[in-house]
Amino acid sequence: MNSLFSLFKALTKNWLRSKSGMFFSILFPITLLIIFTAVFGGQDDVQYTLYIQNNDTTNGEASELSEEFIQGLQEADTFNLIEVEPGEDLKKGLSDDETAFEAARRGLIIPEGFHEKSMDKITTLRTGTMQDSLTQLKEEYGEYMTEEERQEITKGMEQMKTYPQDMDAAEGASITLLINEGDQAAPMIKGALRGVVDTFNQKAMGIEDSAVKVESESLVSENLEAVDYYLPGFIAAFIMTNGIIGVTTTVTEFKRNGVLKRLAATPLTKVKWILANIMQQTLLAFVLTAIMILIGMILFNVRVFPDIYAVGFILVGAITFSAIGMVLGGFIKDVEAASGAGNAIAFPMMFLSGAFWSVQMMPEYLQSIAEVLPLYHFHQGLINIMILGNPGEALHHLLVILGFTVVFILLAFKTTRWKEL
Amino acid sequence: MGQGTCPRVPVRKGVIALIDVKNLTKRYGEFMAVDNISFEVKEGEIFSLLGPNGAGKTTTIEILQGLKIPTSGQVSVLGYDIYKEEKKIKEQIGVMPQNFNALERLSARENIQLVADIYGKGNKVEEVLELTGVSEFHSKVYLNLSGGMKTKVGIGMALVSDAPLLFLDEPTTGLDPQARREVWDMIEKLKGLGKTIMLTSHYMEEVERLSDRAAVMINGKIQTIGEISYLINNYGGHTKLTTRKDQNTAEILNREAQQVFEPSNGEDLITGVFDNKQSAKKAVIALYEKDYDVKIVEPSLEEAFISLSGSKINEKGELVS
Repeated sequence: MNSLFSLFKALTKNWLRSKSGMFFSILFPITLLIIFTAVFGGQDDVQYTLYIQNNDTTNGEASELSEEFIQGLQEADTFNLIEVEPGEDLKKGLSDDETAFEAARRGLIIPEGFHEKSMDKITTLRTGTMQDSLTQLKEEYGEYMTEEERQEITKGMEQMKTYPQDMDAAEGASITLLINEGDQAAPMIKGALRGVVDTFNQKAMGIEDSAVKVESESLVSENLEAVDYYLPGFIAAFIMTNGIIGVTTTVTEFKRNGVLKRLAATPLTKVKWILANIMQQTLLAFVLTAIMILIGMILFNVRVFPDIYAVGFILVGAITFSAIGMVLGGFIKDVEAASGAGNAIAFPMMFLSGAFWSVQMMPEYLQSIAEVLPLYHFHQGLINIMILGNPGEALHHLLVILGFTVVFILLAFKTTRWKEL
Repeated sequence: MGQGTCPRVPVRKGVIALIDVKNLTKRYGEFMAVDNISFEVKEGEIFSLLGPNGAGKTTTIEILQGLKIPTSGQVSVLGYDIYKEEKKIKEQIGVMPQNFNALERLSARENIQLVADIYGKGNKVEEVLELTGVSEFHSKVYLNLSGGMKTKVGIGMALVSDAPLLFLDEPTTGLDPQARREVWDMIEKLKGLGKTIMLTSHYMEEVERLSDRAAVMINGKIQTIGEISYLINNYGGHTKLTTRKDQNTAEILNREAQQVFEPSNGEDLITGVFDNKQSAKKAVIALYEKDYDVKIVEPSLEEAFISLSGSKINEKGELVS
C-alpha cells in the first residue's frame, strides 16, 4: 500500500479515537452552531419587553388618543407590553427590579394630558393646513369663483383666527422612553417606536395611506432563513480553527513525544508527512461540514446544500488552514505554546473576517485588515456559492485563497524539520 | 527474514564492514557532542556504544540513521555514503529510536503495520508479531501497553523493515529486570537470524551479555574499542577467589595467587587475587577437591569501565564517581 495513504489512514484512525480531538473539532463547533442559531436564528419573531404606563386616565378610564397609541404599539408586533399602574414611579421600579433581566428594563411613559395636548396640536396643525389650502385655492382659482364664494372663504378664514391664541403655541404631547443605553436592542426599539409614532401622527393628520411604501424583496432565489446565512460562516470559521489550532497542537505533540522521530527514521519523506496531515485534516473538514449541514437541516430547516463548487472551495480552504497549522507546528516546540499561538491567530481572524457578522459593521481600517485574511475570502467565497448562487464572484476569492495555499504549503515545507529532531 | 539466516545483505559488493565511521565529529555551537570518532561494525555482529548519558551515543547512532547531519567526517552505512545516499540507507535499515513513541491510539499491530507499509513490507507483519511476541497483545492500544510491551512493539517496528542492519538506541532503558531480560533474549534471537545490530546502552550487564564488540564512549570520545573479552582482560582487573580461612586454604592460595589478603569485615575468610586465569583455575580445582566453598569474582566490564573512566554509571545512566 502506498505509504502516503497508509499514514493518512493511521493518522485518521488515531484522530477518530481521540475523545478530546472529537470534542474540539466536531462537538464544540456543533454546540456553538446550535446555540448561535437558537439565539439569533429566530430574530424575526423577537419581541422586546416594554413596560408601559399610561398616566392619561380619568377615573381609571384611559383617554381615547392614549388608548389609540397603545393599540398602535400592539399592532407593531415588536413589543411585549406589560402595563404598569398609573402613578407608580416607573423609573425607580425598573432600576430596582431585580427579577428582570438588565436588558428587559425598558419603560414607556404616556404623561397625563397626552390626549389633550395631542388634540391641541392636531387642531393647530389641521387648521394651519386648512388655511394654507384655502389661501392656495383662492389664489389659483379665485378668478373662476363667484363673489359670493370668495366671501364665504374669507369669512371662514376670519373665523379660524378667532380660535384661542394659545393654541398657536401648542407643543404637542411627549412620551418618555426609559432605556439603558447599553441595551443592545436600544436601536431596534427606538426605530420601532419611531415607526409607531409616525403612523400615529399621520393618522392624526387624517392620512390613512402613505405616499411612499417600502417593499423588500429577497436577493436570493430561494426563501432563506437567518441560519442559512450563519452556516457558511460557521463552516468556514471552524475549518479554520481546526486547521490552525488543531493541526498545530497535534503536530507539536507528535514532535514532543517521539512519533515524528520514529517516522523520520523510516524512508517516509517530509513531503508525505505534511501531505498526510493535510489530507487527514481535509477529511475532517468535510465530515464537519456534512454534520453541520445535517444538523442545520434537522433542527433549523436549513435549505442550503453544497454543490460541486462549494465542495471544491471547502477542499481548498481546508488545505490552506491545515497548511498554516503545519507551518506553526513546524517551528513551535512545546504543546502549550502551540495551542497558545494557534488561539492567538485563530480567534482574532475569526472575529475580523466577518464569519459571524458582516464586515461592514466594522470600522473601515478593520475592514481593510479583513481583506488580507484567508478566512475572509474563504467565507465570502462560500457565501457567494452557497447562499447567493454566484460562483463567478467566488472565483476572485478562490484565486486569493489558492495564493495562500501555495504560500503556506511552501512555508510548511520550510519550517517542518525532518532531521535534527 | 526467513528461518535461520537473513537473506544476503543487499549492500555494495565487497563491503565487509556494514558501518564505517572515520573521524566523525558533531558540534552544536561550542559543544562537541561527538569528537572525532572512528569505528566499524562488521556483518553479523552486535556492536555496542557503551557510555553514560550525554556521551554522544545517540547523536552518533542518529547520524548513522540519517536523522542528524554530521559536522565533519566520513560515514558509510551498508556501503552508502551518508551525505549522498541517505535515502538508500533509510530503506535498508531498521531503527528503534531512543524514547520513541508510536501513534498512541492505534493498536500494537496497527503501528507495526503502518511502518511495514512505509517500507513496502506489509507482508512481514505477521512474522514480526510472532517473533517479537507482540501477537500476544496485538490488538491492545499502544497507550495502554506496559514499558516492556512498548519496547517489543518498538523492536517490531525496527524489524518489520526486513533490513539486515538494526539500530537499537537504549532499548531497555526504564524497563524492569524481567522485561529487560525478555528484550535481551529477543535481541539474541535476532542475532541468530543473521541480523547485524548496533546498540547503545549504559547498562554494563546488557553490553557484556549481548555484544561481540563495544566502544566505550565518554564526553563525545571513544575511550577504547574492542571485543568484550579484550576490554575485560585489559581493563577489567583481576580474578578474585574468596573462601573460608584455614591452614589448607591459606596454603593453596599462597601457592597460586599473586596476592593474598584477609577481608577486614571480621569474618573468617581469605581472598586470593590472580593475575591470570590459569593460576586461578588451579586454585579453584585444589579448593574444590577439598570440598571448600569458593566465591569467584571475575573481571567484568564494569571493572573495566571504572578503570577507564574513573567513574561508575548509575541506573539512570549518570556518571558517578
